[in-house]
Amino acid sequence: MRYLTIALSKGRLADLSIEMLEKLGIDCSEYRNESRKLIFTDEKNKIKFFLVKPADVPTYVEYGAADMGVVGKDTLLEEGRHLYEVLNLGFAACRMVLAGPSELMGKLDGLNNKRVATKYPRIAREYFEHKRRESIEIIKLNGSVELAPLVGLSEVIVDLVESGRTLKDNGLVILDTIADISARMVVNRVSMKMESERISGIIDGLKKQLQ
Amino acid sequence: MPKWKIYTPDGVQDILFDECHLKRSLEQKLRTLFRSCGYNELETPTMEFYDVFASDGGAMPQENMFKFFDQQGRILVLRPDITVPVARITATKCRDAAYPLRFSYIGNVFRYNDYGGGKQNEFTQAGIEVLGVSTPESDAEVLSVAINALKATGLESFQVDIGQVEFFKGLMEETGLSDADTEEVRKWIDRKDYVGLEEFLNRHDIREDLKKLIFDLPGFFGSADVIDRVEAFKLNKRSREALENIRQVLKILDDYGMGQYVSVDLGMLRALEYDTGIIFRGFTYGVGFPILTGGRYDRLVGEFGKECPATGFSLGINMIMMAMQRQKVSIEKPETDSIICYSEKGRKTAFELCDELRRQGLVVELDIANSTPESAVIYAAAKNIGGVISIVDGDTVEIRYVQSGEVAAVQISDLLKR
Repeated sequence: MRYLTIALSKGRLADLSIEMLEKLGIDCSEYRNESRKLIFTDEKNKIKFFLVKPADVPTYVEYGAADMGVVGKDTLLEEGRHLYEVLNLGFAACRMVLAGPSELMGKLDGLNNKRVATKYPRIAREYFEHKRRESIEIIKLNGSVELAPLVGLSEVIVDLVESGRTLKDNGLVILDTIADISARMVVNRVSMKMESERISGIIDGLKKQLQ
Repeated sequence: MPKWKIYTPDGVQDILFDECHLKRSLEQKLRTLFRSCGYNELETPTMEFYDVFASDGGAMPQENMFKFFDQQGRILVLRPDITVPVARITATKCRDAAYPLRFSYIGNVFRYNDYGGGKQNEFTQAGIEVLGVSTPESDAEVLSVAINALKATGLESFQVDIGQVEFFKGLMEETGLSDADTEEVRKWIDRKDYVGLEEFLNRHDIREDLKKLIFDLPGFFGSADVIDRVEAFKLNKRSREALENIRQVLKILDDYGMGQYVSVDLGMLRALEYDTGIIFRGFTYGVGFPILTGGRYDRLVGEFGKECPATGFSLGINMIMMAMQRQKVSIEKPETDSIICYSEKGRKTAFELCDELRRQGLVVELDIANSTPESAVIYAAAKNIGGVISIVDGDTVEIRYVQSGEVAAVQISDLLKR
């Protein structure tokens, strides 16, 4: 039998995914052993796992280097890959929002040139172009996006928000919610067909856990 | 040296030697297959006017096309596919031809792809188009040629999924959703995105039984009993006819003896503007993308001024080669049988011998580097050439077998007789 390969997002997402997979009887002990191996194998079920940066999971799955993967919806939206998104795993829930200083509340349309700071340029652009039908200037940052409006780098930001605490502490408010985010199971389009039985088995097993 | 002199642009590649040999031999097998089924090969220009490919349907977004200008400032594109030019030809140059028309092509197409995983910006498509008939027989014929094409490549395990977009269009008619909403639903279903689909369905007022069917649609793939499951629902005429159409095509494929290669996927939905009936994709192990796509496109030819139903498929030769490599399908390599060494005195004899051996079907190189037989053996070993023939005199040659190291004196007349 061919190995089924699963790509997991390094970090908390991987831990939570492994927990769910173990409940399905998949042997993840190699992962638990915290070795430096990049690929973990469950010989009995013929399943391989590997850990990669979250932003790379959709790439591995689209190209078929992994048959399936677990990744945040934010990454999926930003990467825009051709994949099957088959299951909302529910964990790592948060929101993708448009935020800015409270003075802008309800006055966003009046602003002529909008500069948007974000780690998610594609999501920001899609949101403004399709939902608000506006052209914007994107400023790509790699962290502490909330800082940008405070120091005049941008008018607004597009970012992930969990509790909203960081925004509040910095005098920013949510101007609009762009999408609800959580961990998703994704499947390569070819694997879904060629390995339909085994993949459906895993999906159904996970679905039952979620109920 | 100019900065980019020694590089190739993104998404294109050199195809060398063994790989090129394999590619040509695949192309030849496909060409022979298409011809044996009565298809006439055609060649279309590498560049066309942008207008040929511009359409509202968005089957080929303009961002994905390589564009430039002609001398009058008109927009040109490198062809992103060959089906559209075939439609142009059919509507303009074959207006009065006897239907059905059967065309085939093998050529390079150009798209700004997210390349990687075997995807390139320039790649070779081989395909066929059947124009002028809309019978299930024609859809089945195209599918049967597609399956035979995959078999001809030597790939052993592959699968072709068949869908029918009219089924979905019928459902959408029934819901009364707008075109924009329909497009959104299509996207969710085609991506098998249950989350987005559910969220969309909750926002809209749709009949309960329809809602359930639409929500389950991404999962309606597998063997033909999928159709039975769907038929349990209350469907309108358009959807029913679509299911009947798949049934007919599957039945014909059974008679072709190809039932085992096909399965059904009612959730396969590509471009609604372009596709008008049966659509299909082919898959195999080792590559993450379909190796073959096809389907019915009854409206396309009409865009060029003459209504004409049409169906066809194309397969990606580069993708197939990658699958063969991943699946370790044994492939023939170009082999050279012998190299002939000679001095000036034996040159004429060498050329005569060479001609004769080539006529016998052997691949023979001449030693144009003027090596000694001993150094020619080293060269031959490096190039995987079977033997070194050196001319001794007008009647005799020495053959050095590279693998065994044996040396044999042989009469030229004996060689010529074989």
